[in-house]
Order: sequence, then structure tokens, then C-alpha cells
Amino acid sequence: MSHIEKRSNFMLRKLALATITAVLCQTAAYAQMSHHQHASDAACDEPTLRCASKVTPAFASDGTLWLAWQAGGQVSVASSKDGGQTLSTPVAVTKERLNLDWGPDARPKIVVDREGRIAVAFSIFRDKAFNGQVLYSRSFDGGKEFAEPKPITGSNESQRFEAMALDQDGSLFVAWLDKRNRVPAKEEGRKYEGAALFFASSKDGGETYSEARMARDNTCECCRLGIAFAGPGRPAVVFRNIFEGSIRDHAVMTFTDPSTPGEIRRVSVDDWQISACPHQGPSLSISAAGTYHVTWYTNGKARKGLFYARSKDGGVTFSDPVAIGRADRSPSRPYVIAGPHELAMVWKEFDGEKTAVNLMTSQDDGVNWSAPKAIASTSDTSDHPLLVTDGRRTYLSWMTKADGYRFQPIENEP
Amino acid sequence: MKRQSVAGAIFFLISLISAPGFAGQGDLKPFERGSWQQILHAHAGRPTIVHFWGVTCGPCKVELPLLGQFMKDHAAVDMVTISADLVPNLPGAARSMLEKSGLGAAENWIFGDGFVERLRFEIDPGWQGDIPRTILISGKGDITTIEGSAEMADIQKWLEQQSAAAAKP
Repeated sequence: MSHIEKRSNFMLRKLALATITAVLCQTAAYAQMSHHQHASDAACDEPTLRCASKVTPAFASDGTLWLAWQAGGQVSVASSKDGGQTLSTPVAVTKERLNLDWGPDARPKIVVDREGRIAVAFSIFRDKAFNGQVLYSRSFDGGKEFAEPKPITGSNESQRFEAMALDQDGSLFVAWLDKRNRVPAKEEGRKYEGAALFFASSKDGGETYSEARMARDNTCECCRLGIAFAGPGRPAVVFRNIFEGSIRDHAVMTFTDPSTPGEIRRVSVDDWQISACPHQGPSLSISAAGTYHVTWYTNGKARKGLFYARSKDGGVTFSDPVAIGRADRSPSRPYVIAGPHELAMVWKEFDGEKTAVNLMTSQDDGVNWSAPKAIASTSDTSDHPLLVTDGRRTYLSWMTKADGYRFQPIENEP
Repeated sequence: MKRQSVAGAIFFLISLISAPGFAGQGDLKPFERGSWQQILHAHAGRPTIVHFWGVTCGPCKVELPLLGQFMKDHAAVDMVTISADLVPNLPGAARSMLEKSGLGAAENWIFGDGFVERLRFEIDPGWQGDIPRTILISGKGDITTIEGSAEMADIQKWLEQQSAAAAKP
């Protein structure tokens, strides 16, 4: 072999090595980019707010805004004294990276009571079969430290989609979807459909919760719940129920007291017969006048899309559903709140390129609504739009992957 | 000779690494913007079953093995599955469930773009992400959508109609 040939072979080997290294690096870099920036619903993978996929706001009675978010496998909390412009140093509720429930309708929950006690709840996937577990934590020192998260129930079956609300006497009411009843059904060879609506309450600011009790069996298993109070000690829960014949339409249950479930009242006969996970739950708010306001998504035989209905008789009967949003823009994730001055509703619409949050308001408790207007938009994936009030104004809370977290008052929009 | 073999090795390695599905057979293809048109184009003229599912979806767990059996019984039909959950890090779980259900050899995709609204909009602007969902595409390109769990008898009937249509002069 000549010197030139040897050198040429050496060069070829070097080239081979360099090429393979370059291609491997490129592949790895692509996988990294693909994994973290493209395939994910989050902009990054740290526990910071910027990397959050889901952010939940709550106001304390002193006007402080509190945020709980999930990012980088952790749940964190921070507060703001200036309406979200600057945040306190975030505090981790979880001490380690967890397999947090990333289902479309999952999110951490946060409630701050009049004494400034902070209660948090969230779900994790606790095994490889994606069985869920609802965990709770609390901080009694103004959010400096959070107690180690504990399961909200001793049941080792699956729980997800917790919802939490503060009663007038300072107690906490929690409801969630629980699959424990599938065990006896399986043992008896019975088919078990959906999950069950379970609830508990806490009278010590979220330090401990009462024993879990069932309010309703065979509800839909994969949609968020909505909670509001019909009066002191009278929580009302809206959920996607399973009616006779596998019809997954919405129902409201108003409790007689925090430990006594009430009757199931159907919000609307949409006739959505489906054995599937719609991944899109309802929203409920009860105004000072006692009017129930419900928004929901359906793809039923009777109607398809987003709808709104109201009840003037304490959630017993509901008005005819009113369609929300543009049907050709895939309207989704409706949220309604009875604010201090008006009733407000937001939802998302997608035009093929951008997702916009649309707003409608009502000055007469839901009889008439303003024309919809877009109040925010983004060109990548986003969290559900949420509304929150401090008793003076109502604000939109919306986490977006491309543009970060947005917190804006919905009044005085141009 | 030796130089040729080294050059050949380089070419082989580059083509191996650059090829789609480099990580091996049974891998899930990332379903991204434009993938839906790609699937429609690739299966044009052939009856195709496209099944949307997700690893956390209870009814999906029941339906997947039935589809696996259907594929085994009907080797001629094109079977495409698309994991349509927003799953940032679980292709392993999806692949494992597909293999256990007898769908390891199907054409398997997984949503590979976090902007799921856009992916769904390309497939069907009216679809808001409920799964399972099955789209039956006829040889002529006619689309039948089954929301929720599909009855295998209905898919069988559809397939027989396709065969009958294809047999007509």
C-alpha cells in the first residue's frame, strides 16, 4: 500500500468518524429539540413559570394573587402584589420530580383562605397503567414552606380531576373522580362504566380532610369538574355524567350541606352517546342573585359545540342551551365567572394558525351577552383560559407556550 | 479495494443513520404538521383504518386488542394507529401497549407536535380530541368517522363493502 493510499484511507476513516459524529450529534440535537420544544406542551423543562404547561390563579382576601403551576415535573407556588407583573420567589410544593397528570383537563389547584392559609391539590400518575392519585399539601406560613404532599384518600385505586373550593366559613370542599368501584364490579363480573364522583372537606385549612364519600357513581372519567357555592355550606358540582345508554351529558348536583349530596339535575339533553374520553369538562359559576351559569362542550346528536345555560331555580332546571363561538373555528375550553360587575365567559378558537381567547360579557345575569371579541392570541399550544376575580375586577389567566404567562384584566379592553 | 470498503461503510452508516425510522422497526413515527396529508397520500386507493387512541384512555385499552385481532384476521387492510394524547415523554408506553395489543406491526404514529389543536384541525376541524376515534378511508377516499369505541362488526361490514365495491367492473 502506497503512502498516498495509506493517507487516503486515514483521511477516509477520519471523514467517516467526523461524519458519523456530526450525524449522530444532529440526530441527538433534533431529538432534544423535538422532545423539549416541539412535542411538548411546555416551552422548556425547568420548574419555572416560563416552562409551565398549566397555571392556576387564586386571589387571597388581601388582594394578593397566588399562582400554582406545573412545570418540569414539579408543582410550584408564587405570589404577586401587583397583579402578576412581578412574582415572589417560587416555592416548590413537590420536593422531587413526579409524573404529574398531564391530561388535557388536569391542573394543580390552589385556594387561599381568609387567614392566609394556602391549600394545594394536584394529581399524579402513580403507576405505569396511568392510575392516578390526588395529592394535597398546605402552607400555614404564607407560602414559605409546603407540607409534604399526602394522598387525599387511602384508596389505592385511581383518582384524578380534583376540584377545590373555599366555603364561606373557611372550610374547603374537594371533589374528584374516583375509580375504586371498578374493583367490586370486576369481582362480581359486572361491567363498570366511567368513574364515581367523590368528595371530602377540610375544616383546618387543608391540614386534614374528612373521609372520602361518594356523591354519584358512573360519571364520565376524564373531564374536569366545576365547583361553586349556592350558599354557605352548599357546594354545587357540575360534571359530565353518564346517563342511561352511555349518554355523556352534563349534570349539576347541589349539596344540602358539605356532607350531604343532593339530586342529580341534567343541564341539557345533548344526547352524546360515546364510549370515549372527551377530555373537556364544564365550568360553573353562581352569581350573587343565585343564578347558576354553566358552560360546556358536547358533540351530541341534539347539538354540537360549546354551550351556555342558566338556572334561576337553584340548579333544578336550566334554560335552553345557547351556542357559543364560531363552529368553524373549533371553539373549546369554555369558562364562566360571575364577577363583581358582570358575568364573563372566555373560550378558545383556532383559525388554522392561531389560537385566540374570545370574551363575552353579560350585564343582566346571563340573559343577554355582548358580541364575542378576541382578547389574546398565540401561535403555539396553550393552557385553558381561566377567569379569576379579586372582588373588584375580573382577570384572564392564560399560559401559552410561545408567549409565556398572561394575566390581564378583562375590563377596559379596546 | 480497501478504500472502496471504507467509503462504502461511510455511505452505509450515513444512509442508516439518516433513514427515517433509524431507531429501529416498531418505532412510532412522529405525527406532525402535514403528516395527515402524507398518510392520505400514501394509502390512496386502498381501504385504510386509522385509529386514534391514547395511553391514559380507558376505553382505548379495551379496543386496542380488538383492533389487533382484526388486523390479524384481515391482513389485506391497511392499519394505521395514531397516539393522539399530548404525551411529551411516553412513546415507550404507547409502543408497549400497541405491541401487547397485536398492533406492533401496524403503521404506528404518535403526536409529535405540542400544538395539538393544529394537528387535530388538519385531520378534522370538528374534532376536539376525544379518543378513541376511528377514521375509515375507502379506496375512493370517502371518509367515515366513528366516534368513541368502534364495533368490530361495523368495521367488518365497511370492509366487506369496500371489497364489493372493488370487485365491481
